[in-house]
Amino acid sequence: MLTLMSLLLFLLVLTNLTLLGSSRLAFCIRTVAVQGVVLGCIPLIGLHPFTLQHGLLSLSAVVLKGGVFPWLLLRSLRVARVKREVEPFIGFSVSLSIGFFVLIGSVVFASRLPLAGHHNHLIIALAIFTMVTGLLLLISRRKALSMVLGYLVLENGIYCLGAAVADHIPMVVEFGVLLDVWVAVFGMGIAMYQINREFDHTDVDRLTELRG
Amino acid sequence: MSVVLLLFLLIPLAGIAMAMRVRRGAALFWLSLAVVLLDDLCLLVGMSDLPVCLPITTAGGWFYLDALSGWHLLVMLLVFTASSLFALVYFRADLASDRLSIATARRYNQLWLGSLWTMTLTLLANNIGLMWVGMEATTLVTAFLVSIYPKPAAIEAMWKYLIICSVGIAFAFVGTLLVAAALPSGGAGSQQLFWTQLMTTGGYNHLLLKAAFLFSLVGFGTKAGLAPTHTWLPDAHSQAPGPVSAMFSGFMLNAALYCIMRHGAIVNHALGSDMFTGRLYIFFGLMSIVVSAAFILHQRDIKRLLAYHSVEHLGIITLGLGLGPAGCFAALLHTVNHSLCKSLSFFAAGRLGQLYGSHDMDRIRGALRNAPLWGIALVGSLLALIGVAPFSIFISEYLLVKAAIDRQAIAVIVIFLVGSGVIFVSALGHLIPMAWGEGQMLSKKHCSVSAVIVVTVLLSLLLFLGLFLPVPIRNFLDQAAFLTGGVQ
Repeated sequence: MLTLMSLLLFLLVLTNLTLLGSSRLAFCIRTVAVQGVVLGCIPLIGLHPFTLQHGLLSLSAVVLKGGVFPWLLLRSLRVARVKREVEPFIGFSVSLSIGFFVLIGSVVFASRLPLAGHHNHLIIALAIFTMVTGLLLLISRRKALSMVLGYLVLENGIYCLGAAVADHIPMVVEFGVLLDVWVAVFGMGIAMYQINREFDHTDVDRLTELRG
Repeated sequence: MSVVLLLFLLIPLAGIAMAMRVRRGAALFWLSLAVVLLDDLCLLVGMSDLPVCLPITTAGGWFYLDALSGWHLLVMLLVFTASSLFALVYFRADLASDRLSIATARRYNQLWLGSLWTMTLTLLANNIGLMWVGMEATTLVTAFLVSIYPKPAAIEAMWKYLIICSVGIAFAFVGTLLVAAALPSGGAGSQQLFWTQLMTTGGYNHLLLKAAFLFSLVGFGTKAGLAPTHTWLPDAHSQAPGPVSAMFSGFMLNAALYCIMRHGAIVNHALGSDMFTGRLYIFFGLMSIVVSAAFILHQRDIKRLLAYHSVEHLGIITLGLGLGPAGCFAALLHTVNHSLCKSLSFFAAGRLGQLYGSHDMDRIRGALRNAPLWGIALVGSLLALIGVAPFSIFISEYLLVKAAIDRQAIAVIVIFLVGSGVIFVSALGHLIPMAWGEGQMLSKKHCSVSAVIVVTVLLSLLLFLGLFLPVPIRNFLDQAAFLTGGVQ
């Protein structure tokens, strides 16, 4: 069990670093999908005793994050006819180096958190790392699609944090959260379609009509 | 009694379903109005003895209404009733000229009722996780109301709104998770995140709870338009159609602030004092007032001007929350005053913008001559907004200053008064030419009955609450302020 968990956590780190360092959007979408599947599996292994409800929740998370979201996003990628992220505000190699430092920082930070003994510090550290990766993608990229990916990675980090620290969240709420994220991605997809139609591009840094 | 709570959740859903079958544009807007009026009727009949009948619990404890959420429910229904009535006036010309197709009108009304539903869910949820789900859903539902006319600027505003608020509210969820993590381990299972449970348990981890409040304040504060994360607000408010801006400013921001109040009360209860939350409330409140004053000074667009006024007034409410029980009382009174007043001013700005064909304040001249009804609405609501007596905002601001004096928070009073002084002068500077200035003459348009009703009722409510605060309302506010304080 322990080794399987280590493998999943290793994959989580790997997907984050991949996202920070790559420019091809279709590849990024698939990486986020892999991350979603990995995260869906984490609560099933070792964290909680297995129940039907947890199984259902993990299954819906895997289906949504590994199947529905990438499908939606790849579709809007085709409509918008963009292939790669060009000249982000923070370059790929710089983002990667920032990513490494954040990873070390969050491991140190999580080991000092005053949490009760049964919480898993490593998972908390990686949750924080994933959240910061999402925020970095959100602020440093130009294409609308990269922002949606950043939002998804941030959500993934929060999901991971929830699995690690809070065993009190009832199922109804967990499903509500998943539903909200699904609607959010759907809405952002429609928004990208509208931006593309009205502006003929999806570079969010060129949306500058409204100021002051 | 508890059946009424479920009705509040079912009626808007029924309305959304019925809208699928309606085939005429105007009928869709009447349907929305009917749904909101039915909600009003439920409130009047089912809870005529407010706030005595509170708290009410139903559905195994999942839905819950106490004085704090009851007060916000009242404000929400006032804003939705007025805005749904105004929508009849606002969209009439566009419906007649086919600028608003049936499909768009149907989408608008379904989203409108959807936002009513999500906000009701936020208020009635007993579980703070479910409250978060409702709040996040309001963003998703209302985003497409901003760009119901798909102009480039509106789409830009919608995109910013969707991204900034989704990310903000994601942070609020971290706050919710940390509350769960701060709970003593072992307990009542799925009941643990129930507000009613949270306020009776002890033995929280204080450090985690403080961190939780910071996340909730910043997260929900983004949605409530508190500086410095208010940047989506002027764009979304200025690009949305009139009734939507009124609903955003009149209630959606307050719904987010309501979530902050709940989280603050939990922290106060656990720490046994309101020192920690109070300082943060005061800091964010004052910052919002100062930032909005700077932007109001140099504003050209009337709807952006009003949007920055929202930042200011939400800042004032937040400031009040940090000033003890008397401050909470003032803050909650300010909530209803600001909501009424801001709805009216957005109605006037929306209608004048349609008549003049622009929201540029340099082009809106002599509104009192050209469109007397909306001119009066603009003058009355802007004067009320900047705190002129005898309108009700003057009273709540006066109570707030009094609460600050009692706490001897001199620096707070100075910053608050300087900020509102700057806003007073600059808003008057914008208002006078708009109302009385010389400019283009417009052909007189006839005013519909619904327009007259909306303006008269809202203006008289603002005046009435300024002159006289009935005892039941005072008791209601006392109870709600007590809950906001959270210290037993």
